[in-house]
Amino acid sequence: MSFSPILISLKTASLAILITFILGIFTAYIVVSIKSKGLKMVIDGILTMPLVLPPTVIGFMLLAIFGVNRPIGRLLLDFLGVKIVFSWTATVIAAIVISFPLMYRAARGAFEQVDETLIMAARTIGLNEWKIFWKIMMPLALPGVLSGGILSFARGLGEFGATAMIAGNIAGKTQTLPMAIYSEVAAGNMETARGYVWVVLTLSFFVVVSMNYFSVKRFDKSKSNASERLMEGEEWA
Amino acid sequence: MGLMIDIKKQYKDFTLEVNFDNRGSRLGILGASGSGKSMLLKCLAGIITPDEGKIILNGRPLFDSVQGINVKPQRRKIGYLFQNYALFPHMTVAENIGIGLPKADKDQMAKILKIMDRFHLTALSEKYPRQISGGQQQRVALARCMILEPEILLLDEPFSALDDHLKDHLQKEVMDYLSDFNGDVVLVSHSRDEIYRMSDSLMVMEHGKSSFMGTTHEAFKSPKYKYVAKLTGCKNFSDLEDDGTFYFAKSWGLQYPKTQFLDVPKYLGIRAHDFIVHHELIEMPSNRLLRGKVLRTVEDIFELTFYIKPLHPSVSEDAEVVFKIAKSKWENRKIPDALILEIPLEHLIPLYA
Amino acid sequence: MKRFLVMALTLIIIMTTIIGCTSKVDSVASETVAENTTITLAAAASLKNCFEDSLIPLFNEKHPEITVQATYDSSGKLQAQIEEGADVDVFFSAGMKQMKALAEGGLVTESTIVELLDNAVVLIKGSGGESDVDSFETIGNAETIAIGDPESVPAGQYAKEALTTLGLFDSNANKFSLGTNVTEVLNWVAEGSADVGIVYATDAASTDKVEIVAKAPEGSVGRIIYPVGMVTKTTHEEASKVFLAFLASEEAAKIFEAYGFVVNASK
Repeated sequence: MSFSPILISLKTASLAILITFILGIFTAYIVVSIKSKGLKMVIDGILTMPLVLPPTVIGFMLLAIFGVNRPIGRLLLDFLGVKIVFSWTATVIAAIVISFPLMYRAARGAFEQVDETLIMAARTIGLNEWKIFWKIMMPLALPGVLSGGILSFARGLGEFGATAMIAGNIAGKTQTLPMAIYSEVAAGNMETARGYVWVVLTLSFFVVVSMNYFSVKRFDKSKSNASERLMEGEEWA
Repeated sequence: MGLMIDIKKQYKDFTLEVNFDNRGSRLGILGASGSGKSMLLKCLAGIITPDEGKIILNGRPLFDSVQGINVKPQRRKIGYLFQNYALFPHMTVAENIGIGLPKADKDQMAKILKIMDRFHLTALSEKYPRQISGGQQQRVALARCMILEPEILLLDEPFSALDDHLKDHLQKEVMDYLSDFNGDVVLVSHSRDEIYRMSDSLMVMEHGKSSFMGTTHEAFKSPKYKYVAKLTGCKNFSDLEDDGTFYFAKSWGLQYPKTQFLDVPKYLGIRAHDFIVHHELIEMPSNRLLRGKVLRTVEDIFELTFYIKPLHPSVSEDAEVVFKIAKSKWENRKIPDALILEIPLEHLIPLYA
Repeated sequence: MKRFLVMALTLIIIMTTIIGCTSKVDSVASETVAENTTITLAAAASLKNCFEDSLIPLFNEKHPEITVQATYDSSGKLQAQIEEGADVDVFFSAGMKQMKALAEGGLVTESTIVELLDNAVVLIKGSGGESDVDSFETIGNAETIAIGDPESVPAGQYAKEALTTLGLFDSNANKFSLGTNVTEVLNWVAEGSADVGIVYATDAASTDKVEIVAKAPEGSVGRIIYPVGMVTKTTHEEASKVFLAFLASEEAAKIFEAYGFVVNASK
C-alpha cells in the first residue's frame, strides 16, 4: 500500500476546502442579501446543482470547459501553455465544484439563522456592512459555517467520478484515494484496498464527530431573544 | 425642532400611510398589532425604505423621495430600542454598549464606564446577555443606544413582553433614565396605559393609516373619532338618529336635545367607568338614566364588570352596555337582576366618525 | 392519496413490463420463425459488437432455419460455465488458454478448433490531433499515456508487456493514467486529455474519435489469438458446423476485419 494516494487526496482536499470555504461564504452572504425572492431562488438553484447532479455529469461539463479540444481548454493551452486536464489542478477543480454546494448551503443556512433584528440593531448603532459581517454575522454563524466546511472537506476528499474524467488516474500525480480503492478492487488486491478503506473510514468518522461537536456549540449562543427567555421563567433584578 | 414625517409604502395587502409633524418631546403611537407601528419605526430608522415621501428630523432630511435622499440607518443618529432588545449574544455587556462607538474615539472606555454607571450596569459589565435578567438587558440595550447620543429615541413596545408587576417598575425606571435625554422620544405600543403614562402627544394608527391626535390626555378625554375612542378604551358606543330637535341614541334608548352639542356628532360614547350606579330610584331627567337587565358579570381582582342590556323597547336585540366599578365602591352588594345607571353629561363623548 | 397509489402502481407495472419485454427482445434478437434449430454461441465480450450488429444478422439471412443465441462474457467465465455443463454449442474465446483447457478436458472437440482471429495491440491518439508520438518507440514524447490498469484490464496487461519488452515501461511510469476499463481509456484519448493511449485494435476500431498511430512492433507482445471451436456435448452438431463454416468464410472475414480483427489466413 503506497501512501501516494493518501497524500494526493489530502493535498487536493486541503487546497479545495480553502478555496471553497471563502467562495461558499462569499456567495452565501450575497444570496442572503438579495431582495428579490425570484432571483434568489434561481441563483440558489444554480449554485446547488452540483449537489444533485451525478458526478459523471459534472465531469462531463468540466471536460466541456477544460478539455483540450474545447474552446476554453484550447485557449488556455495555446495562450498560456496550460493544460488543466490530467493535471493535479484538475483534481482540485473537481473537488471544489463537487463540494461547493455543501459549503454554500451550510453558510447560507447559518447566516439565515442569525436573528434579523441583530443586524437591524447593528445598523442603527452605526456599524457599517463590513463590520456587521465580521463582528456580528460571522461570529454568530461560525458553528454552522464550520460544520459546512468540515462536511465540504470530506466531500472533496471522497470525490471520484468527475475526477476520473478530467484528472485521469496517474499514480503519484492524480490518483486519489477513492480511485486507488477502485483500481485495487478491480485488480483483486483486496488487502491493499482494505488498507485504503480504513484510512477513509477513519477520516470520515473524524469528520462526523467534529461536525456534531460544532452543531452542539451552536445552540448556546444563538438565543438572543429576551422574551423567549422570559417565558422560561427567569428572574428579574 | 422635532420630527416631521409624510410617507407612503405599499405592500401586497397593506398600505402604510403616515403623516405627522411632532413638536412635543414624547410622541406615543397607539395601535393594535398589525397596524403598522413597527413598520413606521423601521421607516424612521432607515431599515425599511418608503415608496415615497419625506422624513425630516430636527430640520435634517433623512429621506426625501423627490430629492433622492435616503440616509443610511448608520448615519441617522436614531436610537432604536427593539422589542427583543437585540443584544449581541456573543458579546459582553460592556462590548455590546461600546461596539457602536467609532474606533477613532479616544474616550471609548471612559464613555462606556460612565454610561454603565448611570444605568447601574457596572457590576454586570463582563456578563453575557443570557446571563442577565430581562430588565437588565433592557437597560443594556438602552445604554447601547444612548452612548451614541442620538437625536431621537424609538422605543418599540418596550414593555409588552413583561409581567404586569414588572411593567410599572420598569416604566418608571425608563422614564428616569430618559429624564435627561434632550432629544425626542417616540414610543410605540398597543397598551393604552403605557401610552397614557409615558407620552405627551398621541398618534393613533389603524391598518397602516395614522391620525395625529394632539396631546395624550386631551386625546383620551375627547377622542373625537370612534376608532380612537375604542383604542383608548371606551367600550360603549351608540349610533345617533336624527329626530328633528333631538338625537336618539339607538343603543341605549336615550334622547338628547341637539342644543347640547356644539356640532353634529355621529355617535356617542361613554366609558365603562364613567357610569354612576344608583341602588334606589332617583329623581333625574329621563335622558340621564339607563335602566338595564344584568346579563352577566365578570369579577376581576379589583373591579367588577357588568354586561347590561338596556330595557328601552326601541333598543336593538344585541345592544350591550359595559359597566365597570371598583369592588371597594360596590361594597359587596349582591348582584341584582337589573341596574340603574346614570350617565353624567360631562362624560358623554361625542364622536364624529 | 388512493388515486396516487393506484397511479404509482400502474406506472411501476408498466415500467416492469417494458423492461421485461426489452431484455427479452435483446436475447431473442436472433429468433425468427419456429421450425428451426437454435444453437448457442458463447463468445468473448470483445466479440459482442461484431456478432450482434453484423455477423448474426447476416448468418440469419443466409440460414434462416438456424437461430443463433449468443451469450457474451469474459473468456474465463465462459470457460467455467461450459465446465459446469452449460448448454453451449460453439465457443469463441479471446485467448488460447481457455480453449486449450476445455480441449484438454474433452469439452471442446479438438478437430473443430480454428485459430480464426488475431487481435493487435495498437497505439492511438485523438482523431485529427497532433502528436510527437508516431510509434511505440517514441512514446516517450508523450506527456500522458492512457492504458488499461494492467492489474485488472487484459488490454492493459498487453500494453505493459509490449512496453516492457521495448524497455519503455519503467521510464514512462509516471505518465500512465490507468483506466479501469477500455472505454475509459478510449474516452481519455478521444478528449485529448491523454496524449496517446494503448488499446486493442478492435477497441480503436469501435470509435472514430481515435485513430491508430502504430501497431505494437513484432515480438513486443505475444499473439492475442481468438480461437473458435465446437463444444463436444452439442446436440446440434450439423447446425454448429454450418455456423463454424460461415465464420471461416470470406464474407465473415471481411466483417471481422472491419471491426479491427486480423483474420488468419491459415485455416
